[in-house]
Amino acid sequence: MSETKTETTVHGMMAEFTSVDSLLTACRRIRDAGYTRTDAFTPFPVHGIDKALGIKPTALPWIVLIAGMCGTSIALMMQIWMNGIDYKYIISGKPFISLPAFIPVAFELTILLASFGAFFGMWALNGLPKFSNPIFTDPRFDRATDDRFFLYIDAKDERYDSVGVRSLLADTGSDYINEVVEDESPKDVPKPIYLIWGLSIAASLVPLICILTMRVTNSSSPRFHIFYDMDFSPSKDAQQVTSLFVDNRAMRADVPGTVARGQLEDSLDVLTGIDIDALTASNPPRVERLVRAYLQDDKDAQAAEDAEAASAETPAADATAEADATAESGDKADADAAPADDAETPAAAEPSVMDTTPWLKANPLDIDAELMANGQKNFQIYCSVCHGMNGRGNGLVNRRAQEKMFDTWVPPSSLIQDTLYSDKYPDGKLFSTISKGIRKMPGYASQIRVKDRWAIVAYVRALQKSQKASLSDVPQAKKTAVEKAVAVAKAELKRQAEAAEKSAAEQSEEKQGGEQDAQQK
Amino acid sequence: MSLAIPNGLDNTVERPGERAPLVLGETTYHDITEAVCKVSERPPSASWVGGFLIAFALLQVLGLLIVYLIYTGVGVWGNRSPVFWGWPIVNFVFWVGIGHAGTLISAILFLFRQDWRTSINRAAEAMTIFAVVCAGTFPGIHVGRAWLAFWLAPYPSLNLWMWPQFRSPLLWDVFAVSTYGTVSLLFWYMGMVPDLATLRDRSKNKYRRLVYGLLSLGWTGSSRHWMRYEKAYALLAALAAPLVLSVHTIVSFDFAVSQVPGWHTTIFPPYFVAGAVFSGFAMVLTLMIPTRTILGLEKLITIRHLENMCKIILATGSIVGLAYGTEFFIAWYGQVPAEQFAFLNRAFGPYAWAYWTMVTCNVISPQLFWFKKCRTTPWIIVVISIFVNIGMWFERFVIVVSSLSRDYLPSAWAYFEPTWVDWGMLIGSFGLFFTLFLLFVRTLPVINMAEVKATLAKQEHMKHLHGHGDTSAETH
Repeated sequence: MSETKTETTVHGMMAEFTSVDSLLTACRRIRDAGYTRTDAFTPFPVHGIDKALGIKPTALPWIVLIAGMCGTSIALMMQIWMNGIDYKYIISGKPFISLPAFIPVAFELTILLASFGAFFGMWALNGLPKFSNPIFTDPRFDRATDDRFFLYIDAKDERYDSVGVRSLLADTGSDYINEVVEDESPKDVPKPIYLIWGLSIAASLVPLICILTMRVTNSSSPRFHIFYDMDFSPSKDAQQVTSLFVDNRAMRADVPGTVARGQLEDSLDVLTGIDIDALTASNPPRVERLVRAYLQDDKDAQAAEDAEAASAETPAADATAEADATAESGDKADADAAPADDAETPAAAEPSVMDTTPWLKANPLDIDAELMANGQKNFQIYCSVCHGMNGRGNGLVNRRAQEKMFDTWVPPSSLIQDTLYSDKYPDGKLFSTISKGIRKMPGYASQIRVKDRWAIVAYVRALQKSQKASLSDVPQAKKTAVEKAVAVAKAELKRQAEAAEKSAAEQSEEKQGGEQDAQQK
Repeated sequence: MSLAIPNGLDNTVERPGERAPLVLGETTYHDITEAVCKVSERPPSASWVGGFLIAFALLQVLGLLIVYLIYTGVGVWGNRSPVFWGWPIVNFVFWVGIGHAGTLISAILFLFRQDWRTSINRAAEAMTIFAVVCAGTFPGIHVGRAWLAFWLAPYPSLNLWMWPQFRSPLLWDVFAVSTYGTVSLLFWYMGMVPDLATLRDRSKNKYRRLVYGLLSLGWTGSSRHWMRYEKAYALLAALAAPLVLSVHTIVSFDFAVSQVPGWHTTIFPPYFVAGAVFSGFAMVLTLMIPTRTILGLEKLITIRHLENMCKIILATGSIVGLAYGTEFFIAWYGQVPAEQFAFLNRAFGPYAWAYWTMVTCNVISPQLFWFKKCRTTPWIIVVISIFVNIGMWFERFVIVVSSLSRDYLPSAWAYFEPTWVDWGMLIGSFGLFFTLFLLFVRTLPVINMAEVKATLAKQEHMKHLHGHGDTSAETH
């Protein structure tokens, strides 16, 4: 072996052993002989060998600890910065820097970085990867990862001496001892590997270069989309041309007889007070006109509709006006005049549009206390000035007009007349009258919202009912109380009738509602 | 199958004062190397090729369905109001759970010095990583616009101009599962390096030697390296042990932190972890028993190894059963009507069939492991393990679907029905898992040779020191 020493560098001496025990014994021998640059190569970790060889403990745990602490602090700082300072999320009123919620991610990153510390730290301390190693030149060293144990003394050891080391190792019972020499195999990485390496790096850069080029260059063509992400909608804008329809218009008119979404809130029934289903059966052209007038804001259709309604009311208008006037003159005895009202039903000889229209029989809104209150409010604002608070037609304006005795004045109708009760004057018709007006009364469609108009209808019905209520209308629970009140009122009336003149009776008539109700029955 | 265990191969008998052998027969170090390396050195067997083709075909099913999903949109799934989580999340939790046994075996059993782990830890860890790959696929495609899944990462985005929301368990999940996947991969790879060096040193083929040479990083087996390596391994085990417990805890937070009745319970973290270990070990057994028979590794993966795993299944299965009972008790004891309804609905509502499937598979079937015959007969173990896997999939189905389909608002209730895409993706995910596993079996060392040799050395050493006590093996 001495002749090879001159030609190649000697790295050390290697001895092979077949068992753990013989290896450990040899290790102790060379340690005691004073060799320090020694190492053993084993197929599995041999316990006790670090002591036998005098290997110092590793600093790896410190690396792991520091890496783990870095993980904790990076995670906490990251979360505090991202959610507590830079972009504050309001989540259930929790503080922006909510440490308990930051624990899971802090924990995971601690583990992750500590694991990186253990993994990469171990390889770094071990000086791996190291693909070229002179000890691999030993022909039997392949068994170091199989079933053989090797002891190695480095040539750099102060006590190293080829002959002495060889005899010492032979002494320990090794039957294969070999000098480890410089690896003479070509060191160059094979050319194909460079080629593959270069090509794969170049290929991996292609997408990056494409992206970066696209980011910095201007282009007249739209940007390239792999996924549309709903950025582009196939829908057309208004005024655009389309080939889908024969008229080439992208914007479509509503189909006649249909109601667009959003307009359903006020269906045609509710808007007009007409039972559209029934009207469709009897008079489809009118339905079409109503749709245009009410749903499509067609002014012509609106005008035509109004004109027809106006013409329908004219023949009867004067008669009604007169009748109303007489009714007003007999205002004082309104309660008693009820039969007279019945008699003066407007001439129904020729059926007008107003009569043939299938009006809604009932209020389309759900009637509850809130609606009634709303109806009362609106009635008192808009209607009571003429029709009076109790609907008997004697509002402030009327009284003033009567005082001044304007001859053009058409007195407002009393709403408490049989012709205006729901059996003869359906809710829909009353709504229509409020909306469009009648005789001198203007339409209130532009001033009162649809729902409020229906609320007024409901309130008028209540007023009518209150003026002609019977004991059977009173709920069972309150019946006895009412009967008691009636008895009291009757006794009072009797006493008053006996005691006072007719003027006193008039006063009692203006007393509050409850007693009056009772009295009327 | 092996009703009569051949002489010398029965290591399930306990003998006082003596440790049962974990490596059987007159095995030498070289025999271990041969047995393990042969698996990847000989040409593939017909059963491997057949299995691989089937698994690979199923993987193509998954791939094509993902393309179809991305091209069409998430409407191809059965996820409808109110069950928006559906099968993708059921599959996610199922696979993450499967992925718990590997690291548990490597880390926790390592810390407890359970030497029997050495024969099974490599394959179990590989299984963990492949299960995490399957698990990670599902939330990735469940986000809807899968090509924007990178928004989950906290990176300074010039398009979003915002950061992720760190108070959401869903984001914790991203960190937990990705950390778990990464650490498991490091742990697995690190444990494999010495064995890859063995494969390198045995390689006759130039290219094979090159690939294994690169993968083994120039490992020599130096004692200094081994010392740092063992230290790093122990540290990684100590880090991975709390990690493995944290992962399913955080997965359970996805449910427990919400307010859905049936989800909003503090029992979820321990219950999920026990269930995960339970299902993970069942999957290890399902895979290892055919593997050991086909690859002829009965002397290394012994009946005792299988029996130990059966005992863990029995323990965790009983914990899971206890958790099911506790849930009902707390629902009654808590006196929250919605909660009470949720549990009655699970057991007797429209998903009662799923609930009772779960109870039968998870609570009743593992109880057979009380009998030694069941614990030591491989085919019985496989059958019960498959039942447990089915049961654990149904557990996640019951939790996800039955709670979501009927929560607080009865007008929003609906019955979840999966589509063919749901089915295809579940089956396809098994294709992904088995493809990876079969490739692993063919190309990498299936058993941790270095550790088994160390176990053998310890076993031999103890034979010599008979009468000197067990712990003397550690000291010299």
